[in-house]
Amino acid sequence: MSEIFKDEAIEKINQKKDLWQEKVYNAGKEQKSVFETLSGLPIEPLYTPAHISDMDYLHDLGFPGDEPYVRGVHPTMYRGRTWTIRQLAGFGPPEETNKRYKFLLKEGATGINGVFDYPTLRGYDSNDSYALADAGRGGVAIDTLEDMSILFNDIPIENISSSLVTCHPICNISIQSMYFANAQIRGVALNKLSGTSQNDFLMETAITVAPELLPPKFSFKLCCDAIEYCTKHAPRWNPVSFAGYNYREAGCTAVQEVAFVIANAVACSRELIRRGLDVDSFAPRLSFFLCAHSDFFEEVAKYRAARRIWFRMMKERFKAKNPRSLSFRFHVQTAGVALTAQQPLNNISRAAYHALSAVLGGAQSVHIDAYDEALCNPTEQSSLTALRNNQILQLETRVTHTVDPLGGSYFVESLTNQLEKRVVALLEKIDQMGGIVKAVESGWIHKEISNSAYEYQQAIESCNIPIVGVNCYQTEDEKLPMELFEVPETLHIQEEKLKRIRMKRDTSRVQHSLDTIARCCDEGGNLMEVIINSVRTYVTVGEISRTIKRSYGTWDPPLF
Amino acid sequence: MKKSIRVVIARLGMDAHWRGSIVVARALRDAGMEVIYLGNQLPENIVETAIQEDVDVIGLSTLSGNHMILAPEVVRILKEKEMEEKVVILGGTIPPDDVTKLKEAGISEIFGPGTPLKKIIEFVSGVE
Repeated sequence: MSEIFKDEAIEKINQKKDLWQEKVYNAGKEQKSVFETLSGLPIEPLYTPAHISDMDYLHDLGFPGDEPYVRGVHPTMYRGRTWTIRQLAGFGPPEETNKRYKFLLKEGATGINGVFDYPTLRGYDSNDSYALADAGRGGVAIDTLEDMSILFNDIPIENISSSLVTCHPICNISIQSMYFANAQIRGVALNKLSGTSQNDFLMETAITVAPELLPPKFSFKLCCDAIEYCTKHAPRWNPVSFAGYNYREAGCTAVQEVAFVIANAVACSRELIRRGLDVDSFAPRLSFFLCAHSDFFEEVAKYRAARRIWFRMMKERFKAKNPRSLSFRFHVQTAGVALTAQQPLNNISRAAYHALSAVLGGAQSVHIDAYDEALCNPTEQSSLTALRNNQILQLETRVTHTVDPLGGSYFVESLTNQLEKRVVALLEKIDQMGGIVKAVESGWIHKEISNSAYEYQQAIESCNIPIVGVNCYQTEDEKLPMELFEVPETLHIQEEKLKRIRMKRDTSRVQHSLDTIARCCDEGGNLMEVIINSVRTYVTVGEISRTIKRSYGTWDPPLF
Repeated sequence: MKKSIRVVIARLGMDAHWRGSIVVARALRDAGMEVIYLGNQLPENIVETAIQEDVDVIGLSTLSGNHMILAPEVVRILKEKEMEEKVVILGGTIPPDDVTKLKEAGISEIFGPGTPLKKIIEFVSGVE
């Protein structure tokens, strides 16, 4: 134990600090009456060893790549391998997005991060009456296996990892099946595939809602079906990415973000163990997706706290032994909600600060938002600038040269401990409610998030949260300094394809595959086992989800 | 006593973002208005509910980019049903060029990202 942690020394430090605060520090000069983090944790003027004097270094921090993984999940961290640059992309028909993927890979992206359009993410075909105005928006339109094969045409899926931002389990069950079936057709075995699918039931039932949603327990079941399937057949695939990023975008605080992803992962773990799987067979592939918001130090502390909470949860509650089961691995996206439509070029510096917090917090992969995202889908120019932003951080700043550089900061360690306490308290509350699925069914989650979103907005209006260009330093009659992205023609292309496919596919095989899906729903079997074969008949995303909804029904989320 | 203003709030088409629409719905409710929250709907259903519920204002929300197709459609159906006295407003990520076109199409006001709630409340309160 070092000198600074001796009781006697701590006592002296405390005495000296009290004196300093009384005689030297002048609280009257403070510009605000309350200093706190974005999540409302109090911040003191100065942190000293006394704030962390009850910590046991080996037990509470340890070494990177070792328990409790607070300082990083890998021993060498970025000295060994830097984070994956995984820039999100997707728009229009698959032909167009395939070009964008190739462009980003050519320019140095090291992984694919594919997002699907609004209809696909909710299990609708491009030509569904609900979908007509949204085909190709917010992501790429996928209706059948043919679209998936076009999307990954000439992309070496055997060597590159693909993140499929499938959001809703009802989307994932079709889209991941199509990705897998396409790989098999290309001669790539499932156990060679590496990648991630989002597949988060909270996304479907609370975060990014749609006209007709599956009831929470069935959306949750579909999520677990994919995890179970991958555990057995695609061991290098992360079958779920708990999307704390999106929870945060919907309004959550940092504390809620971490509590809800972990509560979700706990629920999945319980269910998979109930299905007979060993915790160390699936837990190494549970992955997380977090936000990098504007409160720099709170974000750094958040990632570090999440690693410790996850480690203790898996070790103590689930008795996991595999180091990968115990380590909280996560992708980060910089906060879209923090971007402004006003003076949009300012977003470049905002996103750079956000990304720096992610990297100082030990993220495994990072997406930096493009500066125009409060206005439109990113253009090629803005995507490239975001990619370069990531590369500058990686290559020029040297923040990669040592592991967990903020570890040991009195402030960051203290904040990490405080965040941990609050998250653990919230996790206990969710446990008492009967777990996350119950917390969604009762509408508690919706209320929590919407309360936080409302408070955040009010804090902006009262200027408690200053936002440059929005509530201060506004520019009058601002002219936008850039070209905006226009979504390429999608609907007619997809309609034509669907018409052609419906003509040429074997109707009786399609019907048979839909009957098999319906039967599997009724019998409570694993739907991915069935759907991975069904998609080969060129059954559409919409046909699959309609069949599932006929069996499981739909649900109206209690948002207001 | 003056009858309170009735507002229906809906997200257009498949748009998935509820944060803005819920925050605005709560702010209008807290300002004393009667708010009906519809969730995702197509123009036809939005107008139908607006008529059934006898609302004064229809608040549309979208961040998906579908606004140029669906928002004018709401106005068109209202006209068709001779209900154009209902005021249609729109919030979301709307590029400036589209704002002019949408106003020409009959959307009364457009509230982009960063709009203070009090501006929206003031506008809706002013609707007779």
